[in-house]
Parts: sequence; C-alpha cells; structure tokens
Amino acid sequence: MRAVIFILFFYSVYASNIDEYFDKRYRILKSESRTSLGGNVTLNDKEAAVNICLMHYKFKEVDYWFDNPRYFNCSRHYFTYKQYIKTSKVYRIIQDMPKGAALHVHDMGLLGPHYLLNITYQDNLYVCFDNNLHLLFANAPPKSPCDGKWQLMNKARNSSNNITKFDADLRNHFTLFVKNPDTIYPSIRETWRAFMKFFITVQPMLSYRPIWEQYFYDALKRFKEDNIMYLEVRSILPNLYELDGTVYDPLVTAKTYKKVIKNFMKDHRDFLGAKLIYAPPRKVDRVKLEEYLELAKRIKQDMSDTFAGFDLVGQEDLGSPLIEFVPQLLESASELNYFFHAGETDWYGTLTDENLVDAVLLGAKRLGHAYALPKHPQVLNEVIKKDIGLEVNVISNAVLSLVRDIRNHPLSAFLAHGLPVVLSSDDPGVWEADPLSEDFYIAFVAVASRLSDLRLLKQLAINSLKYSALDSISKVDALRKFNYKWNEFIDNFDCSKYQN
Amino acid sequence: MAFVSTTSVLFILFISISGKSIPNSYIENRINLIEREVDMQLGSELVLNDDEKLANEILMHWKQKEIEESFRNPQYFNFSKHYFDYKNDIPKSKVYQIIRGMPKGAVLHVHSSLMLSADRLLNLTYENNLYMCKNEIGDLQFRFSEDIPKWPCHTSWVLLSDLRSLGDATKFDESLKNYFTLFSGSSRGCDKIDINTIWRKFEKISNVISQLIIYRPVTEKFFYEALNEFYNDNIQYIEIRSGLKSLYELNGTVHDKLYMPRLYRDVAERFKRDHPDFVGVKLIVTRHRLKTDEEIRKTINLARQVKQEMPSFLAGFDLVGQEDLGRSLSDILPLLNEAKNDLKYYFHGGETNWYGTSTDENLFDAVLLGSKRIGHAYGLIKHPSLLMAVKQYDIALEVNVVSNAVLGLVHDVRNHPLATYLALGLPVVLSSDDPGVWGADPLSHDFYITFMGVASKRADLRLLKQLAINSIKYSTLDIKNKEALYSVFHTKWDVFIKQVLTLSTNL
Ligand SMILES: [Zn+2]
Ligand SMILES: [Zn+2]
Repeated sequence: MRAVIFILFFYSVYASNIDEYFDKRYRILKSESRTSLGGNVTLNDKEAAVNICLMHYKFKEVDYWFDNPRYFNCSRHYFTYKQYIKTSKVYRIIQDMPKGAALHVHDMGLLGPHYLLNITYQDNLYVCFDNNLHLLFANAPPKSPCDGKWQLMNKARNSSNNITKFDADLRNHFTLFVKNPDTIYPSIRETWRAFMKFFITVQPMLSYRPIWEQYFYDALKRFKEDNIMYLEVRSILPNLYELDGTVYDPLVTAKTYKKVIKNFMKDHRDFLGAKLIYAPPRKVDRVKLEEYLELAKRIKQDMSDTFAGFDLVGQEDLGSPLIEFVPQLLESASELNYFFHAGETDWYGTLTDENLVDAVLLGAKRLGHAYALPKHPQVLNEVIKKDIGLEVNVISNAVLSLVRDIRNHPLSAFLAHGLPVVLSSDDPGVWEADPLSEDFYIAFVAVASRLSDLRLLKQLAINSLKYSALDSISKVDALRKFNYKWNEFIDNFDCSKYQN
Repeated sequence: MAFVSTTSVLFILFISISGKSIPNSYIENRINLIEREVDMQLGSELVLNDDEKLANEILMHWKQKEIEESFRNPQYFNFSKHYFDYKNDIPKSKVYQIIRGMPKGAVLHVHSSLMLSADRLLNLTYENNLYMCKNEIGDLQFRFSEDIPKWPCHTSWVLLSDLRSLGDATKFDESLKNYFTLFSGSSRGCDKIDINTIWRKFEKISNVISQLIIYRPVTEKFFYEALNEFYNDNIQYIEIRSGLKSLYELNGTVHDKLYMPRLYRDVAERFKRDHPDFVGVKLIVTRHRLKTDEEIRKTINLARQVKQEMPSFLAGFDLVGQEDLGRSLSDILPLLNEAKNDLKYYFHGGETNWYGTSTDENLFDAVLLGSKRIGHAYGLIKHPSLLMAVKQYDIALEVNVVSNAVLGLVHDVRNHPLATYLALGLPVVLSSDDPGVWGADPLSHDFYITFMGVASKRADLRLLKQLAINSIKYSTLDIKNKEALYSVFHTKWDVFIKQVLTLSTNL
C-alpha cells in the first residue's frame, strides 16, 4: 500500500554496525507509526500533557496483562469481563472524551434492559407468555396470536408471587447478557437466534407511537451523555401504532424521527443532530426490495435533510447476497447513498464474503463491519482509493461470535495500515454496553498497538465526523464544534481526577 | 480458471430470471476485481494439467460439500472450536484422506524432540535400565543406568519396568503417556487457560521428553522413529530445530555436544539408505531465548563448529521458547549481528498477540538481521512495512496453524492471519512445530485445517501444490539437492494424482 516508502527504508537492509542498525530500526518503526491511523496528528502542548497521563495508565494496564495474561480479559468473552471495565482509568478518561459521532447503530438496539424494563411499567401494556414473550400496547386485550392468555402487564406482575423475580425474568428477554456465555452461546447459530429473538420481542412494545418517540428521545440523550454529538441511525422503520389499533405506514415512522430529532436539538443546543439510514431486512426477494427502494426515495423526497441513505440488515450468512439485487441497487445508486453491511463473516470465499466486492462496486459511502476485508487485498485497495469509511464494531463482532480473543480482530491491521476507520457500537443496548465508550476502550487497549496514543483516539473521533453523511458545510461546522468540545476536554483535563 | 467460470454461470442465471439485467460494465468490473484478487492468491500461478484438473474436481467436490454443510450448520463447524475437540473427527473427512496421501514436500519448522507421537515415546520407555523418580514439584525424572542413579531426587529412583509390573500395566502406560502430551481427549481445561499456563505445561512436557531421549541408544531409535512417522505422512525432507544436548551412555559416559549432531546426521543417512525416496535432513541449532549472552554465545560457537565439520548438515541458528517471556532479539543484538556472517538465521518472530510490544518487534529484528525464513510471523499482519519486506526479499513465513491454536493465540482458526498471507500471495510454507505434543499428524492435520478452515472456500489443488513446492523452494538445500527433491516430489505427485482419479465423487 505505502510500498514505496517502506522499500526505501529496507533497501540495503543489512546494517554494517550496531549504531547504523538501531538507526535503521528506529526509522522503520517510526515510519510505520506514521502510517498507522492517527500517526499524522500533531499534539499541542496541552494535548501532549493529557497524552502522558493517558499513556501512563494504558501502559500500566497493558503491561500488567502482558506479565499476567491470566488477568487479560479481552481474550475471553465480553460478558465475562464487562463489569471490570468500569474500574479502568483509561476507560474513565475515554468516557469523558468527546468521541464525535456514532455512525453504525440500529434503533432498537440503542438502549439496554434497564430502560426496556421500565417501559413495561407503562399503562395499557398487554403481555402474553408462551414459548416467547409477547408485548403489545392496546386499550383492549389484543387478538394477535399467542398460545397463552393476553393480560395487562400490571395485573400479571401484581398477581405473580414475587415481583422481583417477575421483573428479573422479564429483564432476561431484553438482553443477550448471561453469566456463562460459552455454554449458552456455543456457536454463531445460538447467538444470532438469541439476537433475532430480542428484536422480535421488543419491536411490538417499542413501536407504540408515544413510546417510540420517548424511546428515541431518551436514546439520543443517553448517547449525548456518553459524549457523542451526532448519530446516524439505521432503522427497519417498523409500523407505529396507536392504542386503538391504528397502524401507520413506515413513512410516519420516518417523520417521527425527524420530529424527535428536532425536539431534542431544541433542548440540547450543542448537539449536532441525527440522520436516518433506512435498513430493512436482507432476506427478501426482488419484488420486496423494489418496495424498499421506492420507500427510501419517498423518504428522501420528504425529508432530505434527515435521510442519509440505504442499507440491508440481518445475518449476512443467511440473507440474500447483494449480487442478487445488483440491477435494482445500481439503478437507484444515483438517488440513494449506500451504507451496506458487508463482510460481517468468518466464511472466506463464500457469497457472503463477496458482498464486500459488490458493496464497493455499488459505490457504498461506508461499509458496515468489513470484517473480512483483510482477506481481500483488491477490495482493500478500492477502499483506500475511494476513501470508503469502515464502520467497525468490536464488541458486536465479539458477542456475535466472529472472534474470541479480541487481539485477533482485523481492526488492528486496519489501524496499522491507516485505513479510514470509524468506531461504532451496532446494538450496544442488546449487550448492555455503553453507547460508545466501551468500544473505544477495548479497541484502544486491546486491539490497537500498545504504543497507540491520544492521536489515535482523536483521529477516530474526527473520522466519525469526516465520514458522516453530513453535507460539506455542516461537516465543517461539525468539526468546528467538535474542536471546541475537544479543547474543552483538554483544558479541563485533570489527571489526578482518575487517580482512584 | 474455475472460479471465474462459476461466477459467470451465476450471472447468466440471474440475467435469465430477472427482468432487469446487470449492465455489462458492472459485470466486467466485478470479474476484473475478483480476477485481480484471485491472481494474487498463493497457488494462482500454477497451471494444472488435464489429470490434475480432474483430480481437482474430485477434491473440490468434497471440499465444497464439507464446507457447505458447515455453513448451513455452523454449530457443527469444527474449526471454530478447540483443536482437541475435533481432532478425532478429522480422519473421517474425505478431503483429509486425500491430503494424507498427498506428497507434501518438506517440513521446515519442527522441533526434533517434539516430533514423535506419545505412543511411540511410550514404546521407548520399554527400553531396559530406565529409572524414574519425581522431583519436589511432581515432575518426572528419567535416567538410564546400570545401577540406581546417584543423582539426588525427591523420591527414590525405581526401575520403570518394576513399577509397571506392580499393577495394571495398561493404566500405568496411560498415565505415563499423559506426561508426553497436551492432548487428553478433549479441550477440557485447555481452552480457557491463559497463554503462560499453556506454555508452562508445554515446556514441562518438553523437559520430560528430552530426559528420555538424551540416552544415546534411545536417541538413535527415537530419531529414526520420528523420521519414519514423517516419511509415512508423505514428507520427503526435513529441517529440524534442535538444541545441542550432551548424550550419555549406560555406564555414565557423557559425550560432548558435537556428538549429537553427528548422531542425527548418521541416523538421517541410515534412514535415507533405507528409504531412497527420502531426500534428507538438515539441522537448525537452537538455544532457549531466556539464556544469558554468554550461554547463547557458547551455542553460537558450537554451531560454527558444526558448520565447519558438517557444512552440508547445518542449516543455521534460531532461538526458542515462549517469545513473550524470553529475551527479545534486540536485547541480544550485538551477539547476533556479529555472527550473522557465519550463520544463517531462521528466527521465530512475532509468535504473539501482543501488538506493539517488544515481542512483536522481534519481527523487525528478524528481518533486519537477514533471517532466511521467519517462524510463525503471527503478528506480521499488523506491520505493513514488514509485509512489504517479506514479499520484496522473499523471506518465507513458516506458519504452524495447529500450534498457534493449541498454544493459545487463536480460537476460531478462520481468524488466523494465514488467510491474509495466502490472499496476498506471501511466501508461505506450512509446518507443524511440535506435532507430537498435541498428537497431530506430522503435517497432514496442518495442511487439512489450513485448506478447509483458513484458506478461501474456493482455494483448490493449486494452493496445496504450491504449498508443497514452496516447502522445497524455501528450504536450505543447495541447487543440486533441491533438484533432487523436486524430482522425487514430482514423481510422487503424479502417482498421487492417479490415485485421486480412482476416487469417485459419489461415495
Ligand atoms: Zn449492524
Ligand atoms: Zn517453533
């Protein structure tokens, strides 16, 4: 990739004396560090001071793990160590740091079980238990199929002998978290089943219109609290409904987005906003896809400022590959921006894997995951040439069974090669992660080089705005506001705050 | 190219069922991009003859079938599990059976004391005059001796044959075997322990075995047996890594350290005479990387002597032991820099997951010190400058997939960086490191897992053949012997192809 520079360095590889040797070695290492993401960022004096504090704590953590690998959590399942993250000083610094934007999140996975459980305390929620949990808001017992009996949630809860247990059981439906992940999720099949079941369970509850509005407002709030200033949210655009059974078409859902975003920004002036990526399920036929594309275009027409583009979702291995839809997607490419999930797979040389090829050829602005990219050097070249942002979601890939020891995540190679990476969190609520801080933390201490520092973190934050779907004027404004926040973070930084 | 034609078929299919068609320009771009990628892959330069093409169809029939079954039922997909949990399923695979019969050229990265399977090692404990005891921490100590050994030991020395005859010999042998292997039937206790603990177990086994095999008559038997196991796995040439140990005789006589390479050379010669289609063995002298400068200097000097006395037997020098815990190359640099004109280097480098640490930086020093090949190079993918350098200077990467899985670097082998090395067409050779310790085939398991679990689903016979050819190409043999090895290999290859052609695809 940066072939020329490196070959120059290695030319006449073999040094004649030790000084020359170490000089050469130093220059090669230096040039590699410059190639890596963030390698070109220059820190001012104040930033350099913050960096010293940050790296002091990072080295302490990483070197302790290096010496005592039995305490290195990130080679295990995320669920077995997530509780320890909160005690890390590096994590707390990252939490306080402005992180720019989250560009790859799915609306129904934004908030965790705590929030979802609270919704079940709302009036007019009906519940029915069979093999699954069914939830629906209505002003009379619903008619939708269920093998059990529909009853009001409040009644069911109060008639249970043990409300704490009742709520704990309920909560289990709102999360993938378990104490023994290796037993419960032995393979990708079990993980994705549980993952899909989560959405099937929560969608009917969340798509009650007033709840949806509140949910999304609160989600924005939660992200803002994690020091995120802008979001691009993927949505399947579920049909919202009212208590009396009125069901709206997806266009209403899109409009609700616009309304909530507007309200939220009115209440939070320093928030940059959010945009919508329409991302319906990929396991469909061409007729259905045509409907999707028509709807996407209508939304774009109605609300071009809120609409970012189009994507397809669902487990890539099981859904239709992009090639199936190429004629249609190509036709709409001039009207719609694409942000395809692609290469979220370990299967090398399969049709899933080839989605990377088509995503790039279809002109995707960014790629979701691109996990398989290191196995495709030519696609990788296109990514560099066309400057296509890679939306990497480290925790998601670990939880959804692509990788176990996070140090084997391809992100480390992406960072080393200085590829246009943005970090995101996919569905943080589903695995009870922070909106973004934990993904940043794990990427920083376990995936990136031990030597990567504040420059990497800053570049990742900047990238999240640079590769956003904001128009160029808004982008300049966004970067200006980010810099303001960043400087505020640097100016107010107090290393002693993290001491204990 | 098989790949392109499949893709084209796919397109025709789509075009015919769809009202809308894919524009030609898109198809061209797509084929072009994929072809450029295929052209880069290891093995893509090979052109198969007609027989090979037919054999390839049979091979790929079974490969696609196995992979598609796993793709549909990932819960049964073995390679995302621990090697110990699926090792016993491997022989059932048709693809494995084909690979087992395939001539594989050379094994270039194997530690001689850990080549032999636990069963064969167990046989060696039936030799007469073997005494045994346990030290303070319960480790086995072995000593061949006419009388009770005088060495102090925590427990008393007893004749192993006496112990065995005391009770149930089968049970005794089973428990003895556990000291020779990490494999205990499943991954229980293995897949969740940390890398240092695995390595401690590993080094313990290594110590027990080396005590058994430094008795001169056993050394001879051991090494001959080991060569035989490798030969039977269709390997034609081996470069072993070994420390220089002092062998001893029953009467207590201790040989000097040059005796061992001489003996290895002589056993290899004898094996060659007995098996004319085996090309030979070379030695890479090793020292543990935890040793002091002085100790390492001693071994380097010994290696120089071996080179002088048996120039055609000595390949070069390397440092061994867990990289994370050992000294880094840059720490020993003056010494290594000084000896680099006398000895060729074959350094272990980057056998680690720790990115940006001193272990990881061993890769830079391996390249800068002019290493002819690099052992493992697991961390290479995180170093763009080094990826360029190994390509530019044609430095072979000795990849040991099963070893990396067992020794805790990677869980699902589909995440092994080898996939990328193959995609980039880097100079890869496959090897097996210490197959005896984890009960693997000398090389077939590593080939099979690479072919099915790491390489592209579409990678075919050309990859396998190229890997075998690479093992010859990147060996240390001189031109004449390389030619001899190529010719043995090609003869065997043709026979192998004929054999594959007798297999049916509808068994
Ligand atoms: Zn996603
Ligand atoms: Zn080794």
